[in-house]
Amino acid sequence: MNLSVNIAGVPFKNPVIAASGTFGFGREYAEFYDINLLGGFCTKGVTKEPRLGNSGLRIADTPMGMLNCVGLQNPGVDAFLAREVPYLESLDTVVIVNIAGRTEADYCEVAEKVSATKLPMVELNISCPNVKAGGIAFGILPQSVEAITRAVKQHCAKPLIVKLSPNVASIADNARAAEQGGADAISLINTLTGMAVDWRRRKPILGNVTGGLSGPAIKPIALRMVYEAYKAVKIPLIGLGGIMNADDALEFMVAGATAIQIGTANIFDPNAGIALVNELTTVMKECKIERIGELIGTLS
Amino acid sequence: MKDILFTVAYNKPLFDRVHEIRLESSEDLPDMHCGQFLHLEVKDVPTVLRRPFCLYKFDRRSVTIIVANVGKGSARVCAMRAGETARAIVPIGNGFRLEEKHKKVALIGGGVGCAPLAALGACYPGREFRSYIGFAKKSAVCFESDFAAFSKTTVCTDDGSYGYHGYPTDAFAGDDFTPDVILTCGSMPLVKAVARLSAATGIPAYMSGESHMGCGVGACLVCVCALKNEKGEIEHKRACVDGPVFDLKDLVL
Repeated sequence: MNLSVNIAGVPFKNPVIAASGTFGFGREYAEFYDINLLGGFCTKGVTKEPRLGNSGLRIADTPMGMLNCVGLQNPGVDAFLAREVPYLESLDTVVIVNIAGRTEADYCEVAEKVSATKLPMVELNISCPNVKAGGIAFGILPQSVEAITRAVKQHCAKPLIVKLSPNVASIADNARAAEQGGADAISLINTLTGMAVDWRRRKPILGNVTGGLSGPAIKPIALRMVYEAYKAVKIPLIGLGGIMNADDALEFMVAGATAIQIGTANIFDPNAGIALVNELTTVMKECKIERIGELIGTLS
Repeated sequence: MKDILFTVAYNKPLFDRVHEIRLESSEDLPDMHCGQFLHLEVKDVPTVLRRPFCLYKFDRRSVTIIVANVGKGSARVCAMRAGETARAIVPIGNGFRLEEKHKKVALIGGGVGCAPLAALGACYPGREFRSYIGFAKKSAVCFESDFAAFSKTTVCTDDGSYGYHGYPTDAFAGDDFTPDVILTCGSMPLVKAVARLSAATGIPAYMSGESHMGCGVGACLVCVCALKNEKGEIEHKRACVDGPVFDLKDLVL
């Protein structure tokens, strides 16, 4: 049985990748299981400068999901290189460095610095809805998606995954824009912008007023967008949005994803990553599927 | 930290909307310390988030938590019955860590926030403890026997219906006890009163904070508290693994 997949020339042991923002820099979950058994993981978003993130409440419980507004809290790329990269380079799994920025120049500088490491891939966060001056502007219009992708690609020596925002008019147009800009792969979807209100206090619950909705509540939307993007582009897709188990993961793969990411599942269960790898193995055995790659895009 | 399957041994209401729940494990639990907490799965409700609860009592195979029914998640936990199972990550956080020089210790707690302080006596035998625990009224008083077992204890009520009439910090100020350190847990007004007390007396004080939590393991950064570092700059520290116990002089309240 073969769980391996390949994205833009990078081999993954299996299609299970932990999503950015839910997996820190890997160390936290290494206490629970051998994270080298994952296909890979995306780091917390890294920016040029250290970021304090948003103040006030950063999380709200919603039906079958959660809202968050962390606001890209991270130590900045230089501290990331000094403190985290040596550990990340020692791992035997695909570490994808998620990068974000306020300006095109910021993105390019971070991409250049990350290119000097041995880490194999970069994921471009153009869709974080949390930081007012941050990435959202880059991820809305197809022309700006294409422009930022093209700019970063010129400074990035690694295969580049562009992570698309779902808060757009046409996901197919934006997927095409990323492909035209030179993206090697696309991950989708990032969180949907949402809000929670405490009507008794007449106040928003989140410190940032709005936040990103994730979890099983958004899975049908994510699945539809992966399906639409698959029809629009030729580059590989990584599907994410509410995946909690093997059935969820395989639905995304059949709809066109070469691999999948799990985010909120990690928050719910620290062993979610390894549990999903094991469950995929079991389901493949039961269904007599020899190679998981043969399922990709087989929706009829 | 380990994610462990627990079975509810008992769930008893202490008073209105507050429950004491004992969770048992069939395997030996990792070493735990007073002031640490667990992150409990909430079943059969449309939620994906766990809920954090401080360790009230613990031993090799069990943990007892105090749960205040304040929302949908905690309401479900309060409704758990003996025999039900749920997973929990345990133990999480730094907990209350006394230094060798902390021979005399004042514990100042409020309401259900007293629970994490109640295990101090068992964790640090041989220290001199005095406890000042406050509640709204007589019918809400709990944990008195826990504290009395290892410390001289002053119970305070806001309405004067039992014990000292007033705030635990006032009871402490009126006492003749000069501790080496103060440990506190409770409502924000109480914590702020302890911060003022600490600043005025120069006695160091540590508080255990409460925060809405995501992963509970330090990865998601949703539970952060604002602290001042040595340079006076604000830093966001994770309540789950950097805390939940912080030096009150560093905390931005």
